[in-house]
Amino acid sequence: MDAIVMLLITLPVVFFLSLLFEGVDRKVHARMQKRIGPPIIQPFYDFVKLFNKERIVPVTASSRIFTAIPIIAAAASILGAAISVASLILETGIGGDLILILYLLAMSSVMVMIGGSSSGNPYGAVGFSRKMTMLIAYEVPMLISIVSISFSCLSLAYYDIVATQIGMKSLLAFTRPSMAVAAATFLLCIPAAADAVPFDISEAKTEIIHGSLVEYGGPYLALVKLAKAASNFALTFLAMSLFFYFPALLEGYASVGLGALCLCLVTALILLLLTITVPRTIFARLKIGQAFKFYWLIPMGLSVLSVALFIVGL
Amino acid sequence: MANKSDDVKEIKVDYTRLRVPFGPVHPALKEPISLKVTVRKEEILDVDIGLGHVHRGIEALAENRNLVQTLYLVERICGICSHSHTTCFTQALEEIGRIRPSERALYLRTLIFELERMHSHLFLLGIVAYEIGFDTLFMFAWYVRESVLDLFEEMTGNRVHHSMNTIGGVRWDLTPNLVEKVNDSLKKIEKSLKYIHEVFQDKTVEKRLCEVGVLSCNEAKELCVVGPTARGSGVNMDVRRDHPYAAYSELKENFSVVLRQSADAYARIEVRILELFESINLIRTILEELPNGPISKEESILKLMRKIPEGETISMVEAPRGELLYFVKTNGKEGLWRLKVRTPTIPNVLSLKPMLIGCEIADIPVAAASIDPCMACANRITVVDQDKRETRVTDLENLRRRGRKQWMP
Amino acid sequence: MKLATRSRIKSPWLFHLNTGSCAGCDIEIVAALTPRYDVERLGCILVGSPRHADVLLVTGPVTRQMLPRFIRVYEQVPEPKVVAAIGTCATSGSPFIGSQMIEGPMDKIVAVDVYVVGCPPRPEAIVRGVVTAVKKKFG
Repeated sequence: MDAIVMLLITLPVVFFLSLLFEGVDRKVHARMQKRIGPPIIQPFYDFVKLFNKERIVPVTASSRIFTAIPIIAAAASILGAAISVASLILETGIGGDLILILYLLAMSSVMVMIGGSSSGNPYGAVGFSRKMTMLIAYEVPMLISIVSISFSCLSLAYYDIVATQIGMKSLLAFTRPSMAVAAATFLLCIPAAADAVPFDISEAKTEIIHGSLVEYGGPYLALVKLAKAASNFALTFLAMSLFFYFPALLEGYASVGLGALCLCLVTALILLLLTITVPRTIFARLKIGQAFKFYWLIPMGLSVLSVALFIVGL
Repeated sequence: MANKSDDVKEIKVDYTRLRVPFGPVHPALKEPISLKVTVRKEEILDVDIGLGHVHRGIEALAENRNLVQTLYLVERICGICSHSHTTCFTQALEEIGRIRPSERALYLRTLIFELERMHSHLFLLGIVAYEIGFDTLFMFAWYVRESVLDLFEEMTGNRVHHSMNTIGGVRWDLTPNLVEKVNDSLKKIEKSLKYIHEVFQDKTVEKRLCEVGVLSCNEAKELCVVGPTARGSGVNMDVRRDHPYAAYSELKENFSVVLRQSADAYARIEVRILELFESINLIRTILEELPNGPISKEESILKLMRKIPEGETISMVEAPRGELLYFVKTNGKEGLWRLKVRTPTIPNVLSLKPMLIGCEIADIPVAAASIDPCMACANRITVVDQDKRETRVTDLENLRRRGRKQWMP
Repeated sequence: MKLATRSRIKSPWLFHLNTGSCAGCDIEIVAALTPRYDVERLGCILVGSPRHADVLLVTGPVTRQMLPRFIRVYEQVPEPKVVAAIGTCATSGSPFIGSQMIEGPMDKIVAVDVYVVGCPPRPEAIVRGVVTAVKKKFG
């Protein structure tokens, strides 16, 4: 019972943290371009402002799907993030909840994609086909890397993998070579899952006017942006706790409670800066064919390598 | 009575094709142009180009104003190449009125001309980076461009629309203090330019620009494209060398025409980057060899304007985008019979169709930016009725209606 | 100040519409994003779709071909919105007054909240105009 209570408490915490992470990302991106950049709490202002705007549903859209999708997408990603945070705080989990978290995150991307195509705009249709191609490209290596770490920890429960790191007193990425390769694969798949340049092909502003988001405005846009921010937060939090759980290296008081949680958040923030902000600043956008080829060559190859290394015993 | 069912044709719907409108309002385009692109999945099958959204009737307005008012009107045809337009117009008037500006005035005109070429090419490099999603390079190129705009402000008082030209000379002079400032700025700009050149050779940028928007040399010659678009396809033409104007006849050895053969978007952009280095050398030479003397005639511009007789001439300059051509016919009474402007974008924009067929949607903004379109320059239609000796300004819809009435009674 | 009002002032999203200008004002609007002037520190982003925008920046005298598109884009921007006329062409139509191709300056067609004059106005003037309009309309 107290699991459900903890889950309900973490929902607003996740809301607050995901918008904060987005603010830090924008600020660092601006500083790297020699500009000052917005204040860190800017996404909160954006969210409140968008909620107070007029609701417009275009005539060509199928209005029920169009209006329901933002709520489902936001709920799915916030729930996915909240399950992982709550599970870490309560130090417990159920079998298979790792698959549940990944499913919820993928579902929120698919929902946004469907929303774009239900708007009746040709740019939404182009965004739909591009996002579909990207999903096939990055979801497969990501899942294979999760498979390889669950082989190594002999469990599909999220907290068991964290507990393995606490038990071994080291970060999972540095225990064996196959785990290091799996960590690299997961980190490489994050920019595509987060729609960050060079893989923001389905939401390219200068090519297809934001793709799936073109007809969304007002409160719908606020919820879709919240879904994206929560999904980025969830991905980096997952990457941190599955591969780089720092409190496992500490002893005693330092490895439980609020202090440990703060250390986790700082690590997740650093991972966000490395995988989303830095590529966003220093690369140009790729074309869909080139991105697909890249993902089926390098991350796919690495993920298969990690499973192979594990089977061999490394 | 004809049978109705004979007129109804079989319409086959091809569900694999999608017609995507690109413009006139689009974040990739700073100026309105409508491109209706037919695609299948991501491959482009057909392009339909529609101009005319910036048509303001400038040539019609020019016929009702006197020459000095037309000078200010012509400057505002385009904000990016405004000095090229005024230079071309004043050159035409000076030729009709047989007024020869002083040497110093010609050198100063050329100096502002080359600075404008620099600012326009830096503008384009930023826009191309923005189109391929590389925001950081866009910010950096425009940061460098601000130094050039500062120089404009020091010399002429405004960042855009500098109104430097007057009939018979220029309006603002250079002090030795300013000459030093220009030299200092040029050193910093050259260093940043070398860095930009390196970044343009980065892997992700090359993947977007190479092999995109290919325009072969024969196609370029058939469509009569001009400027860096033509030079990127190997066509060797440059008005500064072929028909020298202003001070270019004395500066012939100090610059070279940049040519590339690979004919894709990357070639056109590389031509512009190298032209920037050539411009820096030209400006340094101009500052060293600046002759002394007055910068304009002693009579006021209004007196000079009244002296211009009836006559007609053609004047050409090399604007940043290519060859700009003016046909001016004065009427001896401070006004114009006819002003015809042929800007470089008019032939260049038609080359979009052979460039884009076979490419992907993602290549549309890249190809459109690499030909450096200036839509504001490219929109004018005037109908001249020769029998009645009158001119009317009309638009495409009227022309179409007239054509239909005439050929299909 | 209420939270809704404060957030509208702190996060105005801009959409730039060119109704036939010479591109002088447009390059000064885009220059306002670059590191020297940086409007993003005030929370402004240049968005790609009118449905995401709060402030409509219009340049150019409205030409006949752009008139229906202008009205359509104006209706697509959700309320509450701010309309800013940037440049002398949008304010009064000059120097193209008298041409048959111009449908008149902007205020014959829509209600304008702020006029930023200049040919072209400096980026600092554009930023000041936008901030004044946002504070006046939403505050």
